[in-house]
Amino acid sequence: MSHGGGGHAAELYPENQVIVIGAILAIVGMYISQFFPQVSMLLGGLLASGATVAGANTTRRVAAYGLGTGVPSIGMVSLGLGAISTLAGVLLAGVAISQFNLPKELLYGIPIIVTVVSIVLGYIVGKLTVNPIGMKIPIMVESMTKLSLMGALSILGFCAAYAGGFYPDTIIEGTVKNGVIGLAFIAAGMAILHPFNACLGPNESHKRTLLLAIACGFITWFMFSIAKLDIVSSVASILLWGIVYREFVKQSLKDACSVLYTPELPKKEM
Amino acid sequence: MAIPLVEITLAGAIINASVHFVPVGGAPAAMATSTGVGTGTTQLAAGAGFTGLMAAAIMASQKGIDLSNPIHLAIILLSGAVGSMIMLALTMLLGQLIYVFGVGVVPAADKCEKDPITGDYQKSYITPGTTGHAVPTVCFISGLMGAALGGIGGGLAYIALKQLGFTSEVAGIIAVGFFFMNAVLASYNIGGTIEGFHDPKFKKIPNGIIASFIASLLTGVIVVGMSIGA
Repeated sequence: MSHGGGGHAAELYPENQVIVIGAILAIVGMYISQFFPQVSMLLGGLLASGATVAGANTTRRVAAYGLGTGVPSIGMVSLGLGAISTLAGVLLAGVAISQFNLPKELLYGIPIIVTVVSIVLGYIVGKLTVNPIGMKIPIMVESMTKLSLMGALSILGFCAAYAGGFYPDTIIEGTVKNGVIGLAFIAAGMAILHPFNACLGPNESHKRTLLLAIACGFITWFMFSIAKLDIVSSVASILLWGIVYREFVKQSLKDACSVLYTPELPKKEM
Repeated sequence: MAIPLVEITLAGAIINASVHFVPVGGAPAAMATSTGVGTGTTQLAAGAGFTGLMAAAIMASQKGIDLSNPIHLAIILLSGAVGSMIMLALTMLLGQLIYVFGVGVVPAADKCEKDPITGDYQKSYITPGTTGHAVPTVCFISGLMGAALGGIGGGLAYIALKQLGFTSEVAGIIAVGFFFMNAVLASYNIGGTIEGFHDPKFKKIPNGIIASFIASLLTGVIVVGMSIGA
């Protein structure tokens, strides 16, 4: 859809600010999941949704230029790069320890390794979309870097929240073997690509898209809480989702020119 | 180490090439005003590619299949290709039924005067103001070729990961991420819609293959690094 954006609406918060806050929240959430496994879903899941919100915000900025292939494509590439870099980060730490006799404490740095790998991978794939392929979007490289980072952080964040930690054994046994990482792949992907895909158009406003992004982040958290059968987090996430989604509907009705409730079509022609 | 790296790099290039064959209509085709299936490149390629990946993975897990035997590898790749082709053929066929009997349009390709396979005239069947309708024969054949390549590419990536010593679960999820990366690179190269190998946009295919080659080489190096301890 080359007419994807319809111009750039004013930004409520600068993009870099949202990215930094989202990244910090998600990384803090992973450490909470690691050190306090009993509240991993409640706090880790909540903070991991920060990464999906930041990803959705970057999607909004880059997709407004008109990708030509629809908004979902960039959301899916972010999660594809994110899945590779998450597993790379988790496994590379183990390799470094076993091969180079590094101290075991390196495992605490897994979120940082994942961050670095995803930034490198995103930057190079972003460069490739500009140079041989020839995308004419000025912010393509930085956006791919940020999206790759946010994809990786949201996958690792939700997986760590589900498994209760980010150690290689915990992640591989707790989320990869039973397929929960597939849920992280597609649910977090939806939370990143859906908000702008739903809100785009001439009257798109940052506040509305962000509200939907937060609602999508919370419902992703809710799905993971259900999958883990964690009652407290399920109730908390669905309540928070309800509050934010209500705000989103209110905002949509407010932004609309007018809302007409049409009656049912008449059965017979008059 | 070296053989899986080569296989991953080749797999990425094959996946990228495969996407260029699939008749993608995008949003206009959803309204039957453009040739192809009415959805985005990523979705179509991913749908067919994943079926191929699953088919290859199922074949690879059969008893008596040895990953170091070239004939067995060929069987796995073939299984991936067939799985992928069935998936895309059904998608195109059901889409075609809806276009012809539901919407009521004639399948016609916009990018060629005559269908290169059947020799039927196309131009006179195109509604003015649109760029073709539904899935004509040439697009269907092109789609099948693309699906076969996609299944082979996905299967090759999975085999390479298995040969590096990853468990099936880890290999599967890395292959999915890898497939998406290459399919989206290809879809950016196409830039929206393509009809198949007769479309002028098909000539852009080298750029996409080069991009995927570099990206896959990089991913391959990372993956080989991960496999040392596995």
